[in-house]
Amino acid sequence: MSRQDVELMAHLMRRAGFGATRDELDACVADGYDAAVERLLNPPDASWMGDFMVRRFDHEASGMINGPGSARSWLYRMVTSNAPLQEKMTLFWHSIFATGVPKVINGRVLSDQIGMFRRCGMGRFNELLLELAKNPAMIIWLDNQDNHSHAINENWGRELLELFSMGAGNYSEQDIKECARAFTGWTIANTEYMMVRSARDSDWPYGRIAYHFERRPEDHDEGEKTFLGRTGAFDGEDIIDIICRQESTARFISRHMYHFFVADEPPVPSWPYTPPRDIDAIDALVDTYFESGYDISAMLRTLFTSDFFKSDDVRYEKVKGPAEFAVGILRLSGEFEMPRREMILRYRQINWMGQELNNPPSVEGWHQGLEWLDTGALMERINFASEQLGDASKPGVRAMVERIAGGESDNRTPEALVERCLDQMGALAASDDTRSALLMLAGQEDGATEQNITQMLRLAAASREFQRI
Amino acid sequence: MSNRMAAGVLEYVTTLGIIAMEGRGFEYPTDMVAASNGRLYVANRSRDFGERGVRVTVLDIESEYYGTFGHFGEAAGQLISPMCIAEDSRGRIYVSDDYTHRISVFQPNGDFAYAWGVYGSAPGELNGPSGIALDAADNLYVSDTHNNRVQKFTSDGEFISAFGGAGDGDGQLNLPWGAHVAPDGDAYIADWGNDRVQRFSSDGEFVAAYGASGSADGELLRPSGVAVDERGYIYVSDWGNERVQVLDDKGGFVQSLRGQATLSKWAANFLEINREEGQARAKANLEQALDLPDADDPHTQSAYIERLFWAPMSVKLDSAGRVYVTEGNRHRIQVYRRIS
Repeated sequence: MSRQDVELMAHLMRRAGFGATRDELDACVADGYDAAVERLLNPPDASWMGDFMVRRFDHEASGMINGPGSARSWLYRMVTSNAPLQEKMTLFWHSIFATGVPKVINGRVLSDQIGMFRRCGMGRFNELLLELAKNPAMIIWLDNQDNHSHAINENWGRELLELFSMGAGNYSEQDIKECARAFTGWTIANTEYMMVRSARDSDWPYGRIAYHFERRPEDHDEGEKTFLGRTGAFDGEDIIDIICRQESTARFISRHMYHFFVADEPPVPSWPYTPPRDIDAIDALVDTYFESGYDISAMLRTLFTSDFFKSDDVRYEKVKGPAEFAVGILRLSGEFEMPRREMILRYRQINWMGQELNNPPSVEGWHQGLEWLDTGALMERINFASEQLGDASKPGVRAMVERIAGGESDNRTPEALVERCLDQMGALAASDDTRSALLMLAGQEDGATEQNITQMLRLAAASREFQRI
Repeated sequence: MSNRMAAGVLEYVTTLGIIAMEGRGFEYPTDMVAASNGRLYVANRSRDFGERGVRVTVLDIESEYYGTFGHFGEAAGQLISPMCIAEDSRGRIYVSDDYTHRISVFQPNGDFAYAWGVYGSAPGELNGPSGIALDAADNLYVSDTHNNRVQKFTSDGEFISAFGGAGDGDGQLNLPWGAHVAPDGDAYIADWGNDRVQRFSSDGEFVAAYGASGSADGELLRPSGVAVDERGYIYVSDWGNERVQVLDDKGGFVQSLRGQATLSKWAANFLEINREEGQARAKANLEQALDLPDADDPHTQSAYIERLFWAPMSVKLDSAGRVYVTEGNRHRIQVYRRIS
């Protein structure tokens, strides 16, 4: 098992998941890289802590009046899931089809949307878009309940084209209007009552009621529409079918995938004016999109097995998003073998790092990349990591400390100790600067004591490499 | 989603409560006790950090409101995460707190009396206490959740005995929740993780187990609470199935309830005052058919259809033949009565 193989596997598990322990990496490497990709795409075991456990011990994660309970339910899943790519893709779609609590005002409805991303997010893109169009959280978020046959509301139609599929510059203002007409009558049931409750943030008398999707034929514009050069009495399904045939859609989704999994692209509004960083990579993903019938999993397979993904040049070049940063650490520390009240605080700490799940800053989602890091956010991240990895009472940290202190090697030099720490943190390939800093600490302290090791883990967690992915 | 029965034992009476972050109402209620003074004491765990909502709300069956006590905090007389509630023969109210690992005792008027309990796994120590029930001698059974055992204490916290232990064999427990002492003195425990109710003698000897894992009649999924009446009927809040089941004294299926809540007095009052909301509600169809991939999941059904039980946290009896089902996620109590 070469060091190269281990580091490549660590790269895959960081990007396609939330990182892996050294033991997990060894098991993956033994099976081979392609097998690991297949297991991520088709997990044989998608188990996690489980709804019952979370609901019993975190009541708001069961009743979901507001966003935080919904977010915590998801965090538990991210932290304990054996299907990490499924959760990563859920996070990916949440970042693009960004929907938030200030307008939806119903944690359960948001959670239903997250569940839909989990269910459909690795399937066919046309099916995902159709589910999105029918999703009550999205309907409320973009006002489609106000999109009537006699008076259209363009919000959903506009964002569907601009932010969710084709990208600006690939359609006309008239296409937006025609698109909106096709989705008239796509609303939620009991619209008036639900909107009155939402406007008042009312959970009376008995907590929130989840929203049903409803199609109202009497409010649907049955007339002929001309959309992207085609004419017909289009309904929403027809519009999505046409959208998904467009090369611009394939390019838009491919670029998002490249941005999320490979290397930073500029913010979406500048995409019409800035070519992709790696046009060949986008072309490869676009080809797979069409060849596979818009299959997201097939695109992911192309991406993860490509040279542009495996390349040394892209490793540690992306900044971890707050949720993936925190989840990765919590998976390492093992703090949540059971639901604990502390998850309330962990959720808030992720917010303080700049990412409030279920509450993106706008319909554009979060600006990612280096924008995740400002002085305050960086301090939050370092404090979070330090608090978790410095606490040897946490089972994951305890296991790491024991492996580092025990070690299989008789080599007790400071250099060896540093190597074992980096290794236990997921085969972290640290720079010379990071190693020097850790060596300074290792040299000052007396051997592989628990305190010395946890100090090193904390310091390593503040490194450039650990903050990145 | 229907209520089924072989020979009906229970019929619906009324609904109590309304969601409220403080004062009159409930927020994530976890349990209630119908006390001998005719008042109902309802423990509320609230949401998130709970600064406002944690409390015991006091009312009666007519929805008369008598105030709250046991507010958020770690000081004596305060609660962080109240779980279950019980009354002793002197009318004192006991509340378990699964965060502070304490049992707090209050006078019937809400004045704090005393508290006890320390975290740990040694005999007499607690880890996440949930269900509590008193026997005729005022000894307290406590579901010591994360220690997978039941402990028996005197009313002032003196350790008497412990039984259970982690596992799924006879007498073993997996994250036990609700506790009840039957009229014959046997202790019934909702053995949550093992999908069954277990019955123990007052000495902690295993007597019987009721229910098997599942969702068919007579089967249980993560039961939260249990109560037994003087005729031996066993009432189970079948939390994972979002229903209440009535079993006979051998554990045979008698009746299944899925919930039929109506507007409580407090809820009706709210909708009268907030007319826009009341009028919009009157026009709404709150029984929409579910067109969802997981439409068969009872938790999902209950999220969409308000009348159904949603997170039935406990089932309790009073001396007048009523049965109370506390619903965490609907912030209310559905009341039934025995008809046979």
